[in-house]
Amino acid sequence: MVRSFVWLYLPAFFCLAAAPAGAESIGVYSGRHYNSDKQLYKLFSQRTGIEVNLLEAKDDALIQRLQAEGSGSPADVLVLVDAARLDRAADLGLFKPLKSPQLLREVPVQYRDSRGRWFGLTRRVRAVIVNPKLVSPASIRTYGDLASPQLKGKLCLRDRKSVYNQSLVADQLVSNGAVATSSWIKSMQANLAQPVFSSDTALTRAVAQGQCGAALVNTYYVARMLSGESGEADQRLAKNLKLIMPNPAHVNISGAGVTSSARNPEAAQKLIEFLASPSGGKGYAEANNEYPLKGYGDNPWLKSFGPFKTSGISAETLGANNKLAVQLMENNDWK
Amino acid sequence: MEIRLPPRFNLLAILSGTAALNLLPLLGLFFYCLSRPGGAFSALGREGFEQLGNTLLLLLLVAIGVGCLGTAIGWLTACCRFPARGLLTIAQLIPLAIPAYLEAAVITDLGSRHGLRLHGISWAAAVLILSTMPYVVLLSRDSFRQSGRRHLEASRSLGLAAWGSFKRVALPMALPAIASGIALAGMEVVNEFGAVELLGVPTLSTGLLQRWQGEGDPQGATSLALTSLAVVALLVAAERWQRRLSRRWDQAGPGDRFEGWQLHGPRAWLASSLCLLPPLLSGGIPLIWICSSWDQLRQENLAELIGLSGRSLALGLGAAVLALFMALILAVGSRWLKLPWLQASVFMAGLGYAVPGAVLALALLLLFAPLGVPPLLLLLWGYGNRFLAVAKGGLDASLERLPPSIEEAAASLGKNWQSVLTMVHLPVLRSPLLLAGLLVFVDTVKELPLTFALRPFNFDTLAVRVYQYASDERLGAALAPALLIVGLGLSSALMLVPQLREETTGPLPPVAN
Repeated sequence: MVRSFVWLYLPAFFCLAAAPAGAESIGVYSGRHYNSDKQLYKLFSQRTGIEVNLLEAKDDALIQRLQAEGSGSPADVLVLVDAARLDRAADLGLFKPLKSPQLLREVPVQYRDSRGRWFGLTRRVRAVIVNPKLVSPASIRTYGDLASPQLKGKLCLRDRKSVYNQSLVADQLVSNGAVATSSWIKSMQANLAQPVFSSDTALTRAVAQGQCGAALVNTYYVARMLSGESGEADQRLAKNLKLIMPNPAHVNISGAGVTSSARNPEAAQKLIEFLASPSGGKGYAEANNEYPLKGYGDNPWLKSFGPFKTSGISAETLGANNKLAVQLMENNDWK
Repeated sequence: MEIRLPPRFNLLAILSGTAALNLLPLLGLFFYCLSRPGGAFSALGREGFEQLGNTLLLLLLVAIGVGCLGTAIGWLTACCRFPARGLLTIAQLIPLAIPAYLEAAVITDLGSRHGLRLHGISWAAAVLILSTMPYVVLLSRDSFRQSGRRHLEASRSLGLAAWGSFKRVALPMALPAIASGIALAGMEVVNEFGAVELLGVPTLSTGLLQRWQGEGDPQGATSLALTSLAVVALLVAAERWQRRLSRRWDQAGPGDRFEGWQLHGPRAWLASSLCLLPPLLSGGIPLIWICSSWDQLRQENLAELIGLSGRSLALGLGAAVLALFMALILAVGSRWLKLPWLQASVFMAGLGYAVPGAVLALALLLLFAPLGVPPLLLLLWGYGNRFLAVAKGGLDASLERLPPSIEEAAASLGKNWQSVLTMVHLPVLRSPLLLAGLLVFVDTVKELPLTFALRPFNFDTLAVRVYQYASDERLGAALAPALLIVGLGLSSALMLVPQLREETTGPLPPVAN
């Protein structure tokens, strides 16, 4: 029985493991995992004839893997979510600097590395949501307002592990300095209605249901609920809440670079240029209800949130301040 | 009389080679975390004691929970007769087929829709008890089933009723199996982070996640992983040492099976309900969730689903074969070659399950990716290493009860080691091997962190797809692949059906080997 099983099974296994043979191909390691991304890669392959081999995994695991594989890595492009991770990968020497006039033109200066190692592709905003029955939307205009004693017992936050929160704290750190940011964190912790949450969706629902009066979430979670993508019940719930774009708003990015071990750097650069181009970038952003690099896109739900003014702090600066931000959060009991 | 063993050098080489294959990643991790700037042991950080305390409390709760419930259900399904026993025995595999992170995600999602905040250590303990109980149920059941009829009948003729026989005869015999099951559950508790993170319990494993993902400090994460490994190793070693003082051997052979006590009236119904509880909870809650999320079900590409299932199936089979093979070598070999250092390394090799998959993946990458070892091979190696404990647990428990006199008898009949292996060990281990294969298969199909980090290009599996959606907070889209994981797990449980039929139709005549 065992023998027949081995003969049946081994060939099948290798068939499954075999990579598709293509004329020209690139390897992409991606920390984004949205099914729609794949459609975009397919479109790229159709246009250029370059096959895309894809591995999607956790950003940090991909950084480790690329580092361990060294020059033997099959990856040509590394896509990561969050500015701090892009910055970390660049510091580890995983990216090759690019000279691409197109990328310099398409990607605004605050969303790319000053040495051309990585380029932002989509934008996400950390916004405030309130339940108008509990908290007056007019009472919150900035992130700083979340520290107001009026919100005592009404504020809910996600945990410290969330890179979105870390980048927001880095943003505040650069804008307001360490002392002010520490006291801001401390006051917010004193306002908490419940222990920190581990997901933005649960957080959004809790505000909509009135267990929390205000919270910080990424805009796309709200858009996803409003669009009905996560079911009718969530769609009804989401109508209970109001989204406030703080002024200035904190913008984080997902982005990509060509790996320093790339075997096919030209093709890899082509992919990044495609993703950063208005047509490619639009697809990348739209499927996850994110904002494109410039403007607000055509997404009706994002449009309903209105325009926002960014703080102008570059993604690179956010990345560089990440460690200090996490330290501040830990020291001030952001769990 | 001693068995004529294979040449000592060969045996030693094979054994230590297999142990080394499994110890190498652990050693690699050890040296890696020493390279942490600022010292390996400062990784615990400010919240370290809280995390350590929570981990220990969770371990205690889960050990008590799975120990009591698991043993009770194992005993009932093995030695008592009550309504729907056969069906309920198979149903015990349902909790095994549902990953703990999925269960936790479903519970918190259902709660948050209805305005309930489900979090904290009691929920985490409940989810982990539910998902790890099958280890104790299946291992103890197997052990109870093998308890000889003679023992139980003797106890009965001495005036013991079902409960008395259980407590004074069957339970002590099954202790090694129960302990193995609890040890597996404990290892799963320290290596699990999806569920504890979702339920908001700060444990060592969430601290590890924080170090790695939050702060980009993989050495610190490794140091935390090794801390929890040390905790588990100490606990398991203490239990083994304690048990060494009271060894029991069991001479029942195949065919010498006990048919079971017929339970009547309320007792029978109580037995049925107790056995129904775990599968009902762990299968029922996701079912409620599915029914209330039907509007989120997306049209999945059929060809893609088949591809995902095929890869899950292939990896599961590969891992099962590899883990069984290594476990057999280590379990039998260390019975033959009693060198203290070898026994110690075999013991440690079986503890890799206590290391979170993501950290094991890191070890394999650090050690072997620079040498250009193909990812698929690393992945299989990782599975083998990780699930060696699962495979070895049952084998060890069975071998521990096998009196050395049987091997001596075979040796005195002039049998060499090959014959002892094929005529004594393999028949005795047939049922634990089958069970171990099943457990490893199901565990591999739902395994996530290793698969996620080590797979090659374009090689997604069912668990990977489920996680991609779930981590992106799109549970609805994870529905179809999640159902397929459960389906694969349950259909592999059908392997147990012939065994069951054999039991319900009464004992077969002794197998002529």
